[in-house]
Amino acid sequence: MKKVIMGNHAVSYGVRASEAKVISAYPITPQTHVVELLSEMCANGEIDAKFIKVESEHSAMAACVGAAAAGSRTFTATSSQGLLLMHEMLHWAVGARLPIVLANINRAVGPPWSIWTDQNDSLSQRDVGWLQIYCESNQETQDTIPQAFKVAEELQMPVMIVMDAFFLSHTFEIVDILEAQEVRKFLPPYHPDIKIDINDPHSFGNLASPEHYMELRYMIQEAMEKAVGLIKKVDGEFQKQFGRGYGLIHPYRCADAEIILVTSGTVASTARAVIDEMRDEGVKIGALKVRVFRPFPFEEIFEVLSRAKKVAVIDRNISFGGHGIFFQEIKSALYGRTDVPILGYIAGLGGRDITPGVIRQIAEQAITDKNPHRYINWIGVKT
Amino acid sequence: MVEKVEFKNYREMPIRAMTISSMLWNLTGSWRNVRPYYDFKTSPCRLGCPTGENIQRYIYLITEKKYDEAWKTIIEDNPMPAITGRVCYHPCMSECTRKDYDEAVNINALERFIGDQGFQNPQWMEKAKRSKKEKIAVIGSGPAGLTCAFYLARRGYPVTIFEKEKALGGVLRWGIPEYRLPNQVLDKAIASILESGPIEVKTSIKLGKGISLSQLEDEFQAIFLGIGLSQSRELGVKNEAGKGVVPGLEFLHRINSGEKVDAGKKVVVIGGGNTAMDVARCALRSGSEVTVVYRRTINEMPAISEEIEEAEKEGVKLHFLASPLEIIRTKNTLSGVVFQQMKLGDPDESGRRRPVPIEGETFTMKVDTLFTAIGETADLEGLEEKLEQKWNLILTFGENGNTSREKVFAGGDVVKGAASVVEAIAAGKKAAAKIDRLLANEPEPEIEDPHTVGIEDMNTDYFTESKRNRVPRIPQAEVTGSFREIKTGFDDVLAHSEADRCFSCGVCNYCDNCWVYCPDVAIKRLRDEYEIDYDYCKGCLVCVHECPRNALSTREEGK
Repeated sequence: MKKVIMGNHAVSYGVRASEAKVISAYPITPQTHVVELLSEMCANGEIDAKFIKVESEHSAMAACVGAAAAGSRTFTATSSQGLLLMHEMLHWAVGARLPIVLANINRAVGPPWSIWTDQNDSLSQRDVGWLQIYCESNQETQDTIPQAFKVAEELQMPVMIVMDAFFLSHTFEIVDILEAQEVRKFLPPYHPDIKIDINDPHSFGNLASPEHYMELRYMIQEAMEKAVGLIKKVDGEFQKQFGRGYGLIHPYRCADAEIILVTSGTVASTARAVIDEMRDEGVKIGALKVRVFRPFPFEEIFEVLSRAKKVAVIDRNISFGGHGIFFQEIKSALYGRTDVPILGYIAGLGGRDITPGVIRQIAEQAITDKNPHRYINWIGVKT
Repeated sequence: MVEKVEFKNYREMPIRAMTISSMLWNLTGSWRNVRPYYDFKTSPCRLGCPTGENIQRYIYLITEKKYDEAWKTIIEDNPMPAITGRVCYHPCMSECTRKDYDEAVNINALERFIGDQGFQNPQWMEKAKRSKKEKIAVIGSGPAGLTCAFYLARRGYPVTIFEKEKALGGVLRWGIPEYRLPNQVLDKAIASILESGPIEVKTSIKLGKGISLSQLEDEFQAIFLGIGLSQSRELGVKNEAGKGVVPGLEFLHRINSGEKVDAGKKVVVIGGGNTAMDVARCALRSGSEVTVVYRRTINEMPAISEEIEEAEKEGVKLHFLASPLEIIRTKNTLSGVVFQQMKLGDPDESGRRRPVPIEGETFTMKVDTLFTAIGETADLEGLEEKLEQKWNLILTFGENGNTSREKVFAGGDVVKGAASVVEAIAAGKKAAAKIDRLLANEPEPEIEDPHTVGIEDMNTDYFTESKRNRVPRIPQAEVTGSFREIKTGFDDVLAHSEADRCFSCGVCNYCDNCWVYCPDVAIKRLRDEYEIDYDYCKGCLVCVHECPRNALSTREEGK
């Protein structure tokens, strides 16, 4: 069944179809609708899940950690300061190898207070060990939830699904709603081999001596590396059953492109419109959407970008004292293997619009820029 | 206990930090310095009940729909819950913790609910056989006498009840009108008591007339006197004797016998107690206009406030600060009453302000019948010389109804003066236990310290405010025209709704909070109880704090 729903509710429907058993969350704009609808679904029996109300995001993730450790399919959602408050527990979920799925609605971090979108909240969690998948439409968001659970449970790793505040979270689009009985064929009920069992008590998260700590960390990295192929495989299975797939990355008119714009989130769809326009004008330009940020699909990205003459990365984020964060990752993907120049553009922080005009300005600036080392270009800053 | 595991490579390791073997060997109870333990206290309602009904327990059993067990629980302390559930002044509800939160639980209505369930299930009453040789005489079949007979018969003693009237019940039958306590309810309650054990009944025999105390002492090994107060006090005013001035008790007796009594158009009742209210409301139902005249104000009235409210609602007029001075008679018929206007003076020994006449201020009321209800006295005929008395009541010693004669016990109104049904029941129960100890030559039981709890001991986070469920009534239009019972009682739905309001103060009602919250899974849930596994309890006391009703206590280890 198709419905016109907001991005946040697309997340809720994805969770419903995945038959999560425990949901614990604390409300925060612009995420609140996600768990609001889920709480209603729990109350009216649409989903057979326990909804745990908590007093903070730290507790929300702690509750998820407990529930997942006890063997439940577990979900939470948050945004910005909420995600940052979870930080310690995000590490815990990874170290304890718990397949929790979290939806983070990208919201700029304060101060100054902002409720509008940018990616610094999720990208500042880059190194904790969560898989990160950036979505650009309501349909993709909904479909990514069961995919995320499947990947998470197979790897015993937590997955974060990321979407733009307002541009996606509050925007209504047509979504083909997933139903649980269909999704069950794709994502069977979760029965982990190891879980907390009061009749067979073990100690979890206990002390590991230097003799063992590194091996445990090694296995997390191993899982991440395995994830690249697994996400692709799972996405393929999903496509086979539901007719929709999203890939690790999405190249658009890149095959013969001389310049490629790298984007993520909702900017990707805006960029494709600009590409069509400039192609009509005879410019050999393409766009690459990076969907999966962790694990970073180095090979797939190298494959696409190494054929271009120039790469321009649009970052809705900034690593202060460094560069755009996607830019850094793209650069490391290409490092030492090609001398294609990579230019970095910082745009749209704190929810400022990245319009087709802005993208065109970036493209034109990149085409004419003769300096291959201009790693950081601020777009639209009033100077 | 601990075995060291060597991993050759990371593939042999679990992917997460965890112990390979069970951790049951690790007895974390050794970390504990404070021990939680289940410690049930006495609910304040139970302490407030003169006969000590296990109220918390039977309300819990109602929530569990175990009406038979609820009934048996009450019967341990009170053989007539259908009666007290109608007429008790319910001091339990004045002690209910919930009154400090929103409104006290309607315990009285729940007691009636269970009492009425008992009538529908006569098999709940266990029948006792005679197992003792000592014979007991019970004089008077009001609440005290019936109760005493019941608890002695249950213990296997053959009991003979002597009643001066032709039917049993005493004040329950002759003093309380049908709209509060229907005769058929009383009859069923009495029948169930009489069937419960070896009880023989002798009616129309009055102490001092048909039989004497000495005769009884020769024939019976113990005697209980529950003869109540059967005579109305006189006003002591000029022209009192004669037609038109009627003792309130006599009027009630006639009404309760089913007689139609025409008291004329204008009726005045003198008094402010429960009898005055009963007389007024019965006279109203017999077609009269009724005014109650009381010498003090509404604040000093000894009647149950609910009875006063009901009387007013039905149309009884209340006239305060007046006292009869003289009866006016023309040709031997009553034509009017002269009243003295009063005012309130200094408090008397009861703490109530004393009525003082205002010199020279009198008024006259036209009256067809004047009912007196200023108090009742005992008829101690046949006992005068034999038992020590005080203020025309039987003097008792201690809590168990012992009189100045070893084999003779007494209880109820004849000891306390005009008190209550439940106090009479309590007296009958205590005397029965004492008689049993006397005859079996058993020692006095040790009195337990009634450790109770209050609102400050409750974890009220777990409760939500709710209104007390009121007892359904017949339409007000039908109330005054007949003697139909006003209150129709709770049905299952109301009973459960009200029972659910009980905090179960100080007593576990198996809410599972402790079991859910214990972070060490050290609380085991067994059938109808929990058990703390002290091998693993770390003494965090979360169970104690999260118990909504203070059913757990703590003790420092090593002390």
